[in-house]
Amino acid sequence: MDSQTGGPGSSNSSDFVRKLYKMLENPTDENVVRWGNDGDSFVVLENEKFTKHILPKHFKHSNFASFVRQLNKYDFHKVRHNNEENGQSPYGVGAWEFKHPDFKMNNKDALDNIRRKAPAPRKANQPPDDMVIPAQQMDMMNSQVVASQAQLHALEGRYNELSVHHSMLLQEVIGLQKTVVNHEHVMQNVLTFLHGIDAQRRRDSRMGPFTQNATGVQNGNVEQPNPHVTPLEDDNPASPLQHASKLLNETNADVMLNPRNLEHMNEITMRMNGTLTTPPPEFMRGAARPASRGAPPSASSTTSMRVGDLDNLVYPVGQTTGIDPMYSEHINNIPYPMPTKAAEPSDARQDVRKKSTQVDPGWVRAPQILLVEDDPTCRRIGSKFLYAFHCQIDSALDGLEAVNKMNAGSKYDLVLMDIIMPNLDGVSACHLIRQFDNTPIIAMTSNIRSDDISMYFQHGMNDVLPKPFTKEGLLQMLEKHLIHLKKPVASHVDGMVAPQPLATTRQVLKEEESPAKSPATTSNWNSPNQLPGVSPVATNVTEEYMHAVQTHPGAYAVNPMQPNPYQTSAQIPMPARQQGGHRRQISDIAGGDEMNNPAKRQQIYGAPLQPQPLNPIIQRPR
Amino acid sequence: MSIPGATDSIDAPTFEQILEMDDEEDEREFSKSLVYDFFTQAETTFVNMDKNLEEKDLKTLSELGHFLKGSSATLGLTKVKDSCEKIQHYGQKKDETGSNDITEEEGLKLLRTTIEQAKTEFYEVEKVLKKFYHDE
Repeated sequence: MDSQTGGPGSSNSSDFVRKLYKMLENPTDENVVRWGNDGDSFVVLENEKFTKHILPKHFKHSNFASFVRQLNKYDFHKVRHNNEENGQSPYGVGAWEFKHPDFKMNNKDALDNIRRKAPAPRKANQPPDDMVIPAQQMDMMNSQVVASQAQLHALEGRYNELSVHHSMLLQEVIGLQKTVVNHEHVMQNVLTFLHGIDAQRRRDSRMGPFTQNATGVQNGNVEQPNPHVTPLEDDNPASPLQHASKLLNETNADVMLNPRNLEHMNEITMRMNGTLTTPPPEFMRGAARPASRGAPPSASSTTSMRVGDLDNLVYPVGQTTGIDPMYSEHINNIPYPMPTKAAEPSDARQDVRKKSTQVDPGWVRAPQILLVEDDPTCRRIGSKFLYAFHCQIDSALDGLEAVNKMNAGSKYDLVLMDIIMPNLDGVSACHLIRQFDNTPIIAMTSNIRSDDISMYFQHGMNDVLPKPFTKEGLLQMLEKHLIHLKKPVASHVDGMVAPQPLATTRQVLKEEESPAKSPATTSNWNSPNQLPGVSPVATNVTEEYMHAVQTHPGAYAVNPMQPNPYQTSAQIPMPARQQGGHRRQISDIAGGDEMNNPAKRQQIYGAPLQPQPLNPIIQRPR
Repeated sequence: MSIPGATDSIDAPTFEQILEMDDEEDEREFSKSLVYDFFTQAETTFVNMDKNLEEKDLKTLSELGHFLKGSSATLGLTKVKDSCEKIQHYGQKKDETGSNDITEEEGLKLLRTTIEQAKTEFYEVEKVLKKFYHDE
């Protein structure tokens, strides 16, 4: 008797059924167990022998009851002969006959149909059920995951958008506060002046404490005027003046507006944006000094300190006003060459080319450019082009040298930075430079996949000039980022060169530099990498671009948020209570001057106040 | 301005803008020195490539590829540039598009042929350029 080896035809049937069939194929045990007479059942003739000898051989146990249970599970039924006349089985009294519709002699294939029933069917169905339900669940889960991912993404986008807006608003508010404070100071100043006039007018009629007043001011003692104003007020100053003073006294913007919190928030925001460079300590000191000299750290010193702070805080806004790679919409707006129609710009280019290789973009002074490039060929061509554009060039051979140069205090208007360089790559270099400097840095690279580009922006780069660059592409970049050095722009640079008549070439160039044309002109880019003149640029692309340019005008300005307070300020009525009377004239007047000369003020970033305190001394005694 | 015999290996607009930087069209001092410096640079780079190929230093090979890619692209030497880009990718164990991974063996094998190809392309364009500068 061989051990059971499932026949080929019965591979699908259950082990038990195959063993059973095998058992019956063996003729030696015929007298114990055999097929029924009709071949559609099997009969256990001798129960005891079967249990003892045959079961163990085939089923590894000798338990007849369990064998029967097993049979039942497979839907075998014991054949009963009760209905027959003698109630006896044809196979003898002790015989057990079992039957299954699909268990037949010489029909091995039918064995496949024999399955476990009752618990078996359940069990047999269970796996499919398990499979089905999990699959559905999986689908559901998947869609949920996708949905929440989308949601997360949307939230992230929204968050980024909001944080950009938030920091913009913060700066607006800070700017407004500053304006309000400045206004208040102006008002106080005006009042003081009027009081002076008023007093003088009255002095003219009857001698007032003129001498005392004058000396007090000349000592530069800010505390001094106060007691003198008061006596004057006792002397019936003009009633409108009294009224105005009262109004001013009722609220004091310095006290009411506490910009510290906002500044703190602002700082946090900018830290989060990764480009904050903490205001250089010397600025802080510089700003604080004049104030502390004048008075105890009262409202007055807070003001000047804050103004100093703000200049530093507002300035390095970095990516929040530029193209923020974290802000998904900006990915589409990254100003790097889009394939556009080449016809029109190329004409212009041809003109330019023919006219001169020495293009003068019309700088008010030669821009200082740092060219960071390890490849000598690129460096030479870059320098040559820059030279042709009337720039002054310094070069660094790798990122390390660039960082060192800038760290050593070299000032540039623009940095052109290769990315892959020995010693220190451009991105790291930029990251380091951003810790202390905000000169525009332009990545100059052939790696311009979108993830590369967003990395550049994340690390504080301002733009990307794809390599190999063309002269036009380079010029474009210069004009875009050095717009403040262009001649027609009202300039704050001292020793400004008088505007020169426009050369023809310049006019062509100027046309190109207008923002509307930027996308088109960037396509002047002749890179073999690029699909030249693939298709006319889609209008919406241009619009998007324009939108980006307009929405973030600050991106290219040196100090984008700064001008706003001065332009938008006028409407806010802000009566101020003047705590210490008029003892803050020095900063008052300084503030007033700032108001009158925003452009100048922008220039003197850190220390706008120091030069001013002389003014009151000169002006007031009149 | 066209460079005879180099229509497909030199990108004319790119090369022309360099020629335009020459002060004297007859002398071509700037572009000539630039191009000849590039020849030296390329030769050196190829020697380095061979050395690193022997040492199976894929990373350095990729860097060398990138390095030469930059300057050849700047000059508009399209073919050399393309091969250098491949060298850069293969060195990073990427296929020639730079998007799929390949094994180190595949990379080395591809590098071997591509470096040879880059050399051939370089010597061809060098010949053309030398002729251009001598004949003018």
